[in-house]
Amino acid sequence: MKRANRLITILIFIFLYIPMAVLIVASFNTGKDIAHFESFTWNRYIELFQDDGLLNLLANSLIVAVLSTSIATVFGTVAAVGIHNLKPRMRKIAMTLTNIPMTNPDIVTGVSLSLLFVFVGTRMLGQRDSLTFWTLLIAHITFSLPYVVLNVMPKLHQMDNSLVDAAMDLGCTPMQSFFKVTIHEIMPGIVTGAIMAFTMSLDDFVISYFVSGLDFTTLPVEIYSYTKKPIQPKVYAMFTLMFLLIFLLMVISNLLQLGGEQRKTRSRGAASERSAGRIVKIAVAGAAALAIVVGCAIFIGNNGAEPPVVSEYTMTELPAGPEESVTINVYNWGQYIADGSDDSLDIIAAFEEAYPNIKVNYSTYDSNEIMYSKLANGGITVDVIIPSDYMIARLISENMLLELNFDNIPNYQYIDETFRNTSFDPENKYSVPYTWGTVGIIYNSKYVDEADVTGWELLWNEKYTDKILMFGNSRDAFGITQYMLGYDVNTTDEGELTECAQYLMEQKPVLQQYVMDEIFGIMQNEEAWIAPYYAGDYLTMAEENPALSFYLPEHQGFNLFIDSICIPSCAKEKEAAELFINFLCDPKISAANMEWVCYSTPISEAKQFLDPEVAESEISYPAAEKLIKASSYAFLNPETTRTVEAMFMEVRNSR
Amino acid sequence: MKKNNSVLLSTPYLIWMVAFTLIPLCVVGFYALTDPATGKFTFDNLKNLDAYLPVFWQSVAYSVVSAFICLLMGYPVAYFIAHQKPVAQKFLYMLVMLPMCMSFLLRTLAWVGLLQDTGIINTFLGRLGIGPISMIRTPGAVVLGMVYNYLPYMILPLYSTLVKIDHRLVEAAEDLGCNGAKVFSKVIFPLSLPGIVTGITMVFVPAVSTFYISQKLGGTETVLIGDVIERQFKQGNNPNLGAALSLVLMLLVFVCTGIMNRFAGDDEEGGVIV
Repeated sequence: MKRANRLITILIFIFLYIPMAVLIVASFNTGKDIAHFESFTWNRYIELFQDDGLLNLLANSLIVAVLSTSIATVFGTVAAVGIHNLKPRMRKIAMTLTNIPMTNPDIVTGVSLSLLFVFVGTRMLGQRDSLTFWTLLIAHITFSLPYVVLNVMPKLHQMDNSLVDAAMDLGCTPMQSFFKVTIHEIMPGIVTGAIMAFTMSLDDFVISYFVSGLDFTTLPVEIYSYTKKPIQPKVYAMFTLMFLLIFLLMVISNLLQLGGEQRKTRSRGAASERSAGRIVKIAVAGAAALAIVVGCAIFIGNNGAEPPVVSEYTMTELPAGPEESVTINVYNWGQYIADGSDDSLDIIAAFEEAYPNIKVNYSTYDSNEIMYSKLANGGITVDVIIPSDYMIARLISENMLLELNFDNIPNYQYIDETFRNTSFDPENKYSVPYTWGTVGIIYNSKYVDEADVTGWELLWNEKYTDKILMFGNSRDAFGITQYMLGYDVNTTDEGELTECAQYLMEQKPVLQQYVMDEIFGIMQNEEAWIAPYYAGDYLTMAEENPALSFYLPEHQGFNLFIDSICIPSCAKEKEAAELFINFLCDPKISAANMEWVCYSTPISEAKQFLDPEVAESEISYPAAEKLIKASSYAFLNPETTRTVEAMFMEVRNSR
Repeated sequence: MKKNNSVLLSTPYLIWMVAFTLIPLCVVGFYALTDPATGKFTFDNLKNLDAYLPVFWQSVAYSVVSAFICLLMGYPVAYFIAHQKPVAQKFLYMLVMLPMCMSFLLRTLAWVGLLQDTGIINTFLGRLGIGPISMIRTPGAVVLGMVYNYLPYMILPLYSTLVKIDHRLVEAAEDLGCNGAKVFSKVIFPLSLPGIVTGITMVFVPAVSTFYISQKLGGTETVLIGDVIERQFKQGNNPNLGAALSLVLMLLVFVCTGIMNRFAGDDEEGGVIV
């Protein structure tokens, strides 16, 4: 019986620790795939310490956790003392209030707070960015408070009240008696409450995810968007270091407690002392090892980074920047700007180098609809967005874009004639084309029979059940069905749309999952074999896995899209945003950017700087006869858009 | 301390809690009762909820199953820890706490790497000549994710109650002729009931509302209520329907935890927590 119990415990501990071991091993892997260990490297740690963004996020998390915990601890302890002395009925009410955030699911707390902040901030006070650092802090204090109160209350109950009375009899004021007597008695409760509040705050994802805006986010929120994109292994390195740190902190705090107890009962056997001694040795060795690793990494990290020299990277003369320092929020698709990896040019770093007074705060979305929801929900400031054609038309019709001042964007002259006076922005007032491309089917030629690759119906082929992916956004998903059925992609006919929804519903059993940016990893490691996606991203994937092929259903039709840079009406730094747009339109910058992004540039001038292989690629720049049946999505009308979105939600939410 | 002082000390707290827990819930109610397009008062959001009934049921079923598996797995562990020497108890307690402090997103992602068709387990099985077994994107994977993530929430409260059980009671039962199984069913188990209830609540609540676990480990059919709420807010651009769903989820959780607490008998305030 006892032995069985021990065995079960050991097995369950293994169960608890295996995933963490996987992550720690992955931090030493040269390959990017967590499931396949290629060879050993320390480089992830070096990359981690070169990445200011990631370290800033960690600092953000710590700032929020420390501030919210200290405020909640003081506030909560005071409140607990107050509540303890309240009349029973009031006390009951107070405890019920305290228990609400404890029993409420995190998602409800997050949703309710974000709605409150947007409602009060934006609707009532008319502020643009109501989701800021302060609202995040309020949210963290709110969910931390109950931990403190609920841990202090029992200690107050246990406390012998005659102690306080004695202190008062001896001449203490109530204040003095609190600081001289009460606080010592309830200290263990305060400490436990504070520790719990701190860990909850540091690791909170759900509430922060709903409450944070774009200016200030914490590490877990950003990790969530990392896990949607192909994850960068340096995140595993960070995990490993945090694991070691927390492990050490716990061991040390345990030893301190133990030491305290031993001082009290010194007589109790040497056995525990010996094992404590062993733990101390392990802890010290661990701390030393950690310090060495971190020290080396910082040393190498600081030596490794070289700032880019701007003049080499731009073709044009850049207009002067602002005199005072400003921050712009750039909100872009994931994997949609060269970030310095794989020997590319880090575009944002280059821009900040060119304009030392402009700081770029960069965040990503993975579909037009997510971007739209974020803007429409309100509460945030965004200065630059890069939506697609139909979404631009929608944003224009809803007065959500600002007219651009082209004096600040001289590089607009390089944009090709074909990409001007587009249907979504006929007067060229609101948008500057960034990239264009086609949507086709990516398939793995190792597993997929060429004979089956006949058109969009491949995505419904039962032969490949569970190996097919589908777009996780409504417009692309409906578009594919419409091309397959031969309907107009810009139809507003409810009957046709309902039929499409039915087809999507029928597709569900053969699908593995709905994806957006998660697609990269899944296709590259062959977890799935067939997926519709953007041509540019196919090129990125094919670099990693040459077995991947791309197919354009020319006979059925396919989407030709233009993604353009815009400034939404909630922008604060319009001029700096325009300078950023201008920078992106520099032919040399565009070439460097497209070299990594792999999408097609709307600037012919840029092609001379591109690798000839890329510039002549059939996939990036398909011949005109291939594009006969290509069409672009238009903004339908608010009513139909809502219907399509609701239908798609229904498809996804049904089981 | 004087009574008026206590009012003075507790009032700011009460105001804060009303402002940031009760009022936000009223705002949720307000959104739930307005039309997304026109902003007018409507019951439509709530009326349309019956379409989501299967999703609610599925969420409840998954989290109840997970909570019971957690109980079955957590009990022996908590029992084992509670019967170690104090130093070992502290250390083991710490080992249970530690995973809770690490990013649960990444830990769940590690399970994707373990379970997927081209993942670690299947690669290993492939070497042994056993063909890929599909594990990920099944209901089992979602339950596994829940059990893995929330098991510590079960172990810690169980341990806290088990360690407090007076050993003399066990001895008394033995003296009176109870065998091991009887001691457990008559003495230990009833005394650990508060811990069981707390543990089940602490597993059930986050499990019923999760969206990340089902997004990463579930398939297209495993849609949980958390997913639906998240999607309504983050991409469906229909916060009103999302608010209505949140409201129902909240009620569901309150009812379930209310029922659970009846089982435990009326617990003293603050009996919760590790």
